[in-house]
This record gives sequence, structure tokens and C-alpha cells, in this order.
Amino acid sequence: MAQIFPPWWNKLPLAAAIVGGIVPVLAVAGVWYFFSPWYTDVGYQPVQPVPYSHKLHVGELGLDCRYCHASVEISSVANIPPTQTCMNCHQLVKRDSEVLAPIRDSAASGRPMRWIRVHELPDYAYFTHRSHVTAGIGCVTCHGRIDEMVTVTQMAPLSMGWCLECHRNPSPNRRPVSEVTNMKWTPPRDPQVRLAQLEHERPVNPPTDCSGCHR
Amino acid sequence: MSRTYWRSLAQLEDNPESRAFLEREFPEGASEPAEGITRREMITLLGASMSIAGLAGCDIVRRPVENIVPYVNAPEDLVPGIPRYYATTMPFGRSNYGLIVESHEGRPTKIEGNPAHPSTLGASSSRIQASVLGLYDPDRSQVVRLKGEQKSWADFVTAWAELSKAHAADSGAGLAILSESFSSPTLARLTTEFRARYPKATWATYEAVSDENRLAGLKSATGRDLDLMLKIDQASVILALDADPLLSDPEMVRHARGFAAGRRAGASGGVMNRLYVVEGVFSLTGSMADHRLRLESRQIAAFLAALAARIASPGAGSGAAIPGVDPRWIDAVAKDLQANRGKGLIVAGDRQPAAVHAAVCALNESLGNTGKTVSYFETKDAALPSVSSLASLVSAMKGGTVQTLVVLGGNPVFDAPADLDFAAAIAKVPHSIVLGHAIDETSSKAEWHVPRAHYLESWGDARALGGTLSIVQPLILPLFGGKTSVEVLGLIVADKDRPGYDIVRDTWKPILGEAEFDKKWNRVLHDGLLAGSELPEVAPGVKGDAVASLAGASGSADGLEIVFVPSPSLHDGRFANDGWLQELPDPLTKLTWDNPALVSPKTAASLGLATEDLIRVESSGRSLELPVSVLPGMSDGVVAVTLGYGRSLAGRIGSGVGFDAFKLRSSGAPGFASGAKVTKAGRRYSLSATQEHGSMEGRPIVRESTLTELRSKPEATEPAAGAEPGAGAHAENSSPAPKEGGGTPSALGVFPEHTPHYSLWNPHAYDRGHQWGMTIDLNSCIGCNACMTACQSENNIPVVGKDQVKRGREMHWIRVDRYFSGDPEGNPEVVYQPVPCMHCEDAPCEQVCPVAATVHDGEGLNVMVYNRCIGTRYCSNNCPYKVRRFNFYNFTKDKPESLKLAMNPDVTVRSRGVMEKCTYCTQRITRVKIDAKLAGREIKDGDVKTACQQACPASAIEFGDIRDASSRVAKAKADPRNYALLEELNTKPRTTYLAKVRNPNPEMEGIA
Repeated sequence: MAQIFPPWWNKLPLAAAIVGGIVPVLAVAGVWYFFSPWYTDVGYQPVQPVPYSHKLHVGELGLDCRYCHASVEISSVANIPPTQTCMNCHQLVKRDSEVLAPIRDSAASGRPMRWIRVHELPDYAYFTHRSHVTAGIGCVTCHGRIDEMVTVTQMAPLSMGWCLECHRNPSPNRRPVSEVTNMKWTPPRDPQVRLAQLEHERPVNPPTDCSGCHR
Repeated sequence: MSRTYWRSLAQLEDNPESRAFLEREFPEGASEPAEGITRREMITLLGASMSIAGLAGCDIVRRPVENIVPYVNAPEDLVPGIPRYYATTMPFGRSNYGLIVESHEGRPTKIEGNPAHPSTLGASSSRIQASVLGLYDPDRSQVVRLKGEQKSWADFVTAWAELSKAHAADSGAGLAILSESFSSPTLARLTTEFRARYPKATWATYEAVSDENRLAGLKSATGRDLDLMLKIDQASVILALDADPLLSDPEMVRHARGFAAGRRAGASGGVMNRLYVVEGVFSLTGSMADHRLRLESRQIAAFLAALAARIASPGAGSGAAIPGVDPRWIDAVAKDLQANRGKGLIVAGDRQPAAVHAAVCALNESLGNTGKTVSYFETKDAALPSVSSLASLVSAMKGGTVQTLVVLGGNPVFDAPADLDFAAAIAKVPHSIVLGHAIDETSSKAEWHVPRAHYLESWGDARALGGTLSIVQPLILPLFGGKTSVEVLGLIVADKDRPGYDIVRDTWKPILGEAEFDKKWNRVLHDGLLAGSELPEVAPGVKGDAVASLAGASGSADGLEIVFVPSPSLHDGRFANDGWLQELPDPLTKLTWDNPALVSPKTAASLGLATEDLIRVESSGRSLELPVSVLPGMSDGVVAVTLGYGRSLAGRIGSGVGFDAFKLRSSGAPGFASGAKVTKAGRRYSLSATQEHGSMEGRPIVRESTLTELRSKPEATEPAAGAEPGAGAHAENSSPAPKEGGGTPSALGVFPEHTPHYSLWNPHAYDRGHQWGMTIDLNSCIGCNACMTACQSENNIPVVGKDQVKRGREMHWIRVDRYFSGDPEGNPEVVYQPVPCMHCEDAPCEQVCPVAATVHDGEGLNVMVYNRCIGTRYCSNNCPYKVRRFNFYNFTKDKPESLKLAMNPDVTVRSRGVMEKCTYCTQRITRVKIDAKLAGREIKDGDVKTACQQACPASAIEFGDIRDASSRVAKAKADPRNYALLEELNTKPRTTYLAKVRNPNPEMEGIA
């Protein structure tokens, strides 16, 4: 009669212990990362109806962010420019470009463009551009090096934990308000100089209460 | 005097049903899962959603693609994300409300009163608040129709050109216009032009609920068409005869401001007004009375005659006795009025006959009140309502002499007197043209129907009571292609299709002068009124003996009296399709979605009726079956029916809700009639009230005192311990305690002072930044519910429907509790108490939430984090104030697209399974904080106004920073009348109340 339990069964408790220990850890770690905005949102790069290149316009031609996103300092939203703003230049520049056809159509027909939102917060989170920009938080801090992007990509997870990191300690991310739209600004090495730069700016005390962002 | 408060008759009788209701934590059904889903179905559903999740794979985690749609050409000055505010005017019959409307990216979302306009003074009413929902009503008609067939406005213009040719030939002999009453320079100008062009045409003006009797009374007393303005703030003694100036009256906002100012003045050491009310139907004004006499409407004339006799010759015999009325009551009122010459005010209700109004005018004149507490103005630019004009129009229609009838708004098929049978008459008219908001009862019978523009889509103008001119400015192009009455009348008068804007500007050119017209016009648009356009007051010059004619005004007194009451929410039915107003509880009955007949407990007993019985009411040959509700404080022998319900073609909200009391109303007796018969139909009908929900079990929830008691307690006027936040419960307990210990218990001192509480919790330090707090002055609050609708509009609060209200699932973040005290069969007194979230510093809800979905912020707000909430409802269980509301369903899921436009974009729309509650309008606080921070200034007291506070016509609500000792709210909290609700629980609420103060006449003690 053959043995009911072959000898390799002796290793079973060890195997069970290893699997039992590793699988839950992997599972937790997997959910932790793969379900988090670090995985799901960062790198989102939708194809827009017109392949507008920030790299060309900002990086090479040197447009200021606020030429198009004009309401960023006064409103909660940094507006997407109306078709008219594109046509300001493109009625003279690249008038026959094929990729710009939707823009020209929009201007001619009065039908608005339908851009795809890249940076999206949940509906219960109320973010205000004007508070951040006027507090010396640079565009690049949240949006990354837009001036190097051919297609805009989400660089930060925009998760609550990520927001709170800065709300609890905003200083490392602050810069003089005059440098907010500067994509290439780097903080001075000397902390004293840096402090002196911020001295003239308005004091910031970002909320960490729920009611700061949720209404 | 120790009072027993009760919330309903059932509670007072302590019947088993009521006990069971109270002893449950929540009303029946409120805590059970939804019906209709079995366990098996549930598992199926769960399985299905799991597999969908599996199918979608990882993409399910990625949110759906969202578009950003910018303008093509951005409008100048419009910045996305920044709301804009425009002044406009809401016409409401001959009343006109000056408003400031908030607009988000071109869609109006929130309405507030215009502080500069005399009709609103910055406040509003629930109807004004709810009118924004009417704009987006998806049931509004959207196309011009010819006998039900879709046509265009151009088709109508062509058709009218044909019709006008025929009418021009015979000077308009076969042409008739039926209009609502209005007060508008442009409409008045067009009316004059119409009469000039068609001299033989008929013009009728009808308003189902109107002040026609008052106009007729003033005309008979003075020989002129006069408007009357009450200056309640100037009055020390007010006598209201079957009148409801604080709620039903179109000028209620102005009246409430004045009345509350007089109450507050008294509580802070000045003169407090005293309100006497004589009425049959318990009205909101009656519930505010210091002395109230229950008297049938038909007896008011006799009462007034007796009062006039006493005023004319004080000390003379008591005159004719009125059955059931203590002559000493009349003596005392007469004496009080005489002692306050020039500071008294007598006001009669719109349903009283003209003779009563004439006599009231004469009495006010003889008491020297004219020009002081009551002013008169020539009616100007107005179409005055007249039932007789409608009656003669209807007989002409039936006689076949009317070829073309134009109905300029209104819904006469529904609300015209039943004996006229307007529906039959309109069927005999070959060409009927109806301008209406919806395919309603009247439009559906018309040949031509033209959709009517909402006032927020219209160009128009208005003359408010007192003469102030303003412009009706549109905030949005007509959503459904509606036309205004100005445009339709403009077409009829000139045969030219002109935009309303041009027509209105034509009217205003002579008013403002041609020089710099555009500049002045823009100034009027900006301010919301034309400065200096008030009319001069006129002396009425009473002719003849108006009082003597009272003798003939008393009708027969046989049998039950039926009284027709306009609905405080739906008015004459025009707001029937407005969910906010349908779900707004009646101030006294707290009933929603229905209009039962109201009777007193004694009358109910004698007729063998109980609440929710179906009864058949017969009056002058017509009958109506409707449910009955027993309301204490009603006059015995009176049955009150509420108008405006029972619409058959209102839309998906209002059709078939309630019972059509217009079916009982005749042109001869539009206000009240004798000889009504009530029989039991033998069936029951279920009513949905918010009445018993969250009863407070007889604890000292509302506190009140009398002016005499308040003044006689010197210690009571001492400033109470500071309301420094976080300083402990004993400091918060600032209601004055009886220092003599066990002395005469007054309402203010009757409540035991609580020994210092010791908290189980570590105290929060609320010692930095702003610390928000609120006070609600029960002495000012009139219980009108404006705060409820304002909150609903500001905070995207859903409407849940009659069935859900019955289960106690109404969603209002602020409710107005109504407590009766005293004899239910006699004349009970009423206190109203608005209850929002108390924002307790030691909040019981926070301690029990397993997921920390409700927590405190540093400024003392008890915040609700929707995205954390998992819907255990423990918080609601543990809330002693029962102010938390749970989304049993996704109430906004099936909302029609157009209604979504009415939502406030600054407030999260809650989903199913989430708890919600008052946030102190945290979105408004945040906006002001950011504005102030960016402007580099401090927040001033008054910068932050909650929606309820801003709307309150009685200014009963104060909100602000309680750390700032100079703020209005801190000062209110230092008032000796300040107390916290259920302070023995040591929750340290941030919302506190100021006790109510009554001002009874000391000479009337013991006189019922």
C-alpha cells in the first residue's frame, strides 16, 4: 500500500507559512499602490482634439501661463482659454495647418471645443487656484514641467494625502509670487536668502481641517 | 406660570399611537431598509455589480473622461468660477420684490432680497426663494401651440395679423383681454394704448387671491383708488382683524421686518409692540398674537362696529353684544388703541368685505394713525383686480359676443369662481389665446397657447407698493423660448413683434429723460430701483360715516362657516409644480403635500371627525370631498379650506396633489360663506406631516417670558457670563437663574441652573482664529419658513415626496418646530423654533462615528465629510437635536437636466447612503475667508451671512465670530435671554436661542 502522505508533505507547514506570510503582504501592498492615484492617475495622458504642445508654446516660444489661463489668480478655476484666444495668433500663424482645423471650425461655427480634462479632482473636493497661486505655489509644483510636455500628462497623484503633505508644511514648496509661473525656478541654496525672499509675501496658513476643501 | 408644551393633539391626549411614535428613535420606516428588495434580489444585485467591476477591470478605478468646454468668444467680465450678481424684480400680483440674483456662468442659482429695495429690504420669503426652481421647471411649455399642434412664434405673429385686421375694423368690439393684476409702467402704457386702439374692447383683470375688497373699501371711504402701506415698525398696538399680514399678505417681508423690529426693541428695553388678533382661522399672524380672540370671519364686522362704538364714546355702554365675546376684551382693546393714538394700527384681512375696510380706514383716521402707522398712495400704473369685470367678461363670452380672448397669464379655468364656469365660457370663444407657463388647465383649452417667460428671463418693469420703480432684468435668455406679457401685449397693441427690451426702454425714456438715458438706465439696472421714484403719501380724507355702514356688512350666521384661505406655499396654485414649496410644511399644521380642511377640536368632536377622515363639504350647492385635520386654535363652527391645491395639469410635481377648493368658491363669497355642510365620507386619507418627528419629550426646549416679568427681574438684565467658546458649559449657561431660589417661577427663571458639568472628553481649545456661532431669536422668529427654502436652495437639498415625509425622511437642514401651549379647545399659544445643526463643541455625533466622517474643525464647525460616510446612522441616533438627515435614496439621480442647472456649484451633491446636515454654510465662510485673505484684510462682522440668516425677513438669525466681542452674534449671546438647547447634556452648542417675550396687556388678565 502506497503511502497516503508522500514525503514532500513534510515541507507543507513551511510552505504554508511562507505563502501565508507573503501573499497578504503582497495583496496589501498591491492594493496600496495599484489602487492609489500614484498608479491610477499619474501618467494620465489623454489625446486632445488638437495636439496642442505646451513644449512648443511655453518651452520654446515662452508664452506665460496666464496668457491662456487668465483667471488663475482671481478665480478658483484656471480657465481653459476660449477659442478666440487661440485665434488671436492662429488667424495669422499657421493659418492652413491641418491639426488646427478644429480650432478654425470652432471659431467659424461658434461651437465650443471639447477638451479632455487631465487634472480632475473628485466633486466633493473644492480646490481654488487663486489661493495657491497668490500664496507662492508655483504651477510646476502640481502640474510638473509643462514646458517640456508635448502632451499634457498628470504628474502628481492629486490625492488627499499628497495635498495634506504640503498643507501641513507649505514652506518647501513656496516661492516668490513673481516666480509662480516660472517653470525653471529653483530655490536659492542659502536658506536665509530663501526666507528673506518669502518675507514680503503674504503669510500662509493652509487649512488642514476637512472644511478647508470639502463643502 | 409653568407651561406645558405640546406638539400635536395626539401627543396631548397621549394616545398609544403617538407614544409609540415618540418612543421610537426614528419614525416608523425611517430606520428600516427600503421595501421591495428581497434578500435574494439583494444578493443578485450584489453579484451583478461585482461582475461589472470585474469586467471593467482596472479601468474601473480610472474616473470617466470628463470634458472641458470653454467659450468660443468669452463674454467680457465673465470669469468662470466667480459668481455674478444682478438686480432684478419679481412681480407677484401688484406687489413687486426687488432682488439680487446670484448667477454662475450665466445660470441663476440663488435669489436674495435687494437691501436697497423697500419691498424686501434684503430679506425674502420662501416663495421668492423657490421661484428660481420655477425657472428650470422641466414641465414648462416649450413651444407655441395651435389646438395642441406645435407652431412657432412667427406663426402666431402671422395669425395675429389676420385677427387684428378684423378687430381694427370694428374698434375691437369682439376683442377681450383677461389679465392678471399688475403694477408696471410698461404694461400700464400698453394698456392705455390698447384702449385707444380698440376702444370697444373688453379688459378684465382677475386675481384669485386679491386685495379687491380693500381697494373697494378704501374707494367707498375716500372716493379714490388708494393703496395702503402698513408701517408696522411704527406701531405700538396692532389689531389684526381676520388678517395675516405676516404670511399670506404679498407684502409679508416688509411687514415681518417691521413687526420683528418692534418685538426686538421691547426685549432690549424699548417699546414692544402688542399684537391683538381677531380671527376664525388660525393664521401665522394669529400665532404671534399677544391676545387672540377666536371669532368667525362673518362676525368681524360686528366686532369692528362694537370697537368703533367704544372708541367713539369711551365709557359708554358696551353696545350690541357679540355672542361668545367677552365685552371686556373689546373694552381693553379700545382703551389700548386710544391710549396709543398715532401709534396704533388696525388692519383688516383681504377676505373681509369692503365695508370693514372702509370702517378700518375711518377708525385709523380717527385714532390719528394715518400717515404714522399706515400710509395711503394713489394707485398708479396698475391693473386693479375685479371679480365683476371677470363676471361680465364671462357672460359676454357665453353670449357669443367675444370673438377673440387673450389671456395674459393666470389660470382662470382653474381659479375663477366656480359659478362662472370659465371652462364652458372659453369653449364658446372662437379664438382664444393664452399666455401661460405650462400647458395648464387654461392653456389646454385655448386655441393658441404661447409659452410664457419666467421673470428671470424677462424684460419688464414694476412699481412697488409706495411707488418705487424698478426693472425686471433677465438673467438668462428664455430657456424654452417663452414670451413675456409685455411682448404679447406689445404685439397686440402695435401689430409689431418687438423685443421686450425695446418696449420697456420706450416706457422709460420719458421717465428718465432722453439726456444721458443709457447712463441713467444702467444705474437703475445696477441699483435695482430708480432712486426718488417713491409716490407721495396722500391724505385719505374719509367721507361719510364708514362705520355706520358696517351694520349691513354682517351676513347671516347660520350653520358652519367655510373660509377660503390662500395656501402659504402655493398661493393660488401658481407654485403647484414647485417641489420645494410642496414639501415646505405649513407653519401651523406642519403638513406637506396636502391641503386638508381645518376644524377646531370642538367642531371636530361635534361632527364626529378625526384628523385624516375624508369629509364632504357642501357650500352653496357645490361639494368637495377632502380630508380633515383638527387644528387647535381654530374658531368653533369654522371649516377652513386651502386654495391652490388639486391642480389637474400642473406638471409632474403638482398634478393631483391635494384637493381643489376653488370648486367650492363662488364669485358672491370669495372669502367666506355661511351655511356650509360637512358630512363624513366614511373613508380615511393619509396625511404627511413633519409634526411629530423628533419630539423633545417635554424638556425646556423653548423658553418664554412676558415683558413684565423680564422688566421686573433686574438680575435678568445683567450681562450673563461671557460666551467665550470652550470655556465650559457653566459659562455657556447664560440664561438667568432665579437667584431667590424657588421663588415665583417665571418662564425665564423656571429652568434649573445647571451645576457645572464635567466633561468626559478632553476640552477642545477654541481659542484661535474665527469661532463661528449663531443665535436664533425666538422673539423675532415668526415661523414663516423662509429659512428652510433659502437653505434648500443654497445647499442643494433634495425633495423627497409625500411618502418619504410620512416616513420621517424629509431632508431640510433647518426645520421650524412649532409648539402649542395652553388649552387645545380654547386659544392655545404658539412658539416657533427653527432648529438647524447646533454645531456642538462636544458633539455627540462625532463620538460615535466609526469612520470619523463627522469631525470638528478649528473654527468650531461640526463638519460632515460625505466621502468618508458609510451610512451607519449612529450619528443621527446619538444626536439629541435630531438635525441629521440621511439619504435613503439617491434623490438627485433622476433629477431632470434642467433642474440640475439650479444647483449651487459650491456645494457637494450628496449621494445615497450618506448623512448630511447644516454646515453653517461653510462654502460661504470659505469664500469670504479666501476673499479677505487675498485682499489682505480681516473678516468684518457681517461679511459672512448664512443662507437662512440672509433670507430671514424677521432678522431672527445672527451669525458671526463669537470670539469678537463686538460682533452682533456675541452681543446676542450676552443677552440674558440667551440659552442653549438641552444644555444639561453638556454638548456646548454653538447655536443658541434667545427666549421669546410676550407682551400681554396687564388689564386683560383673566379675560379670555
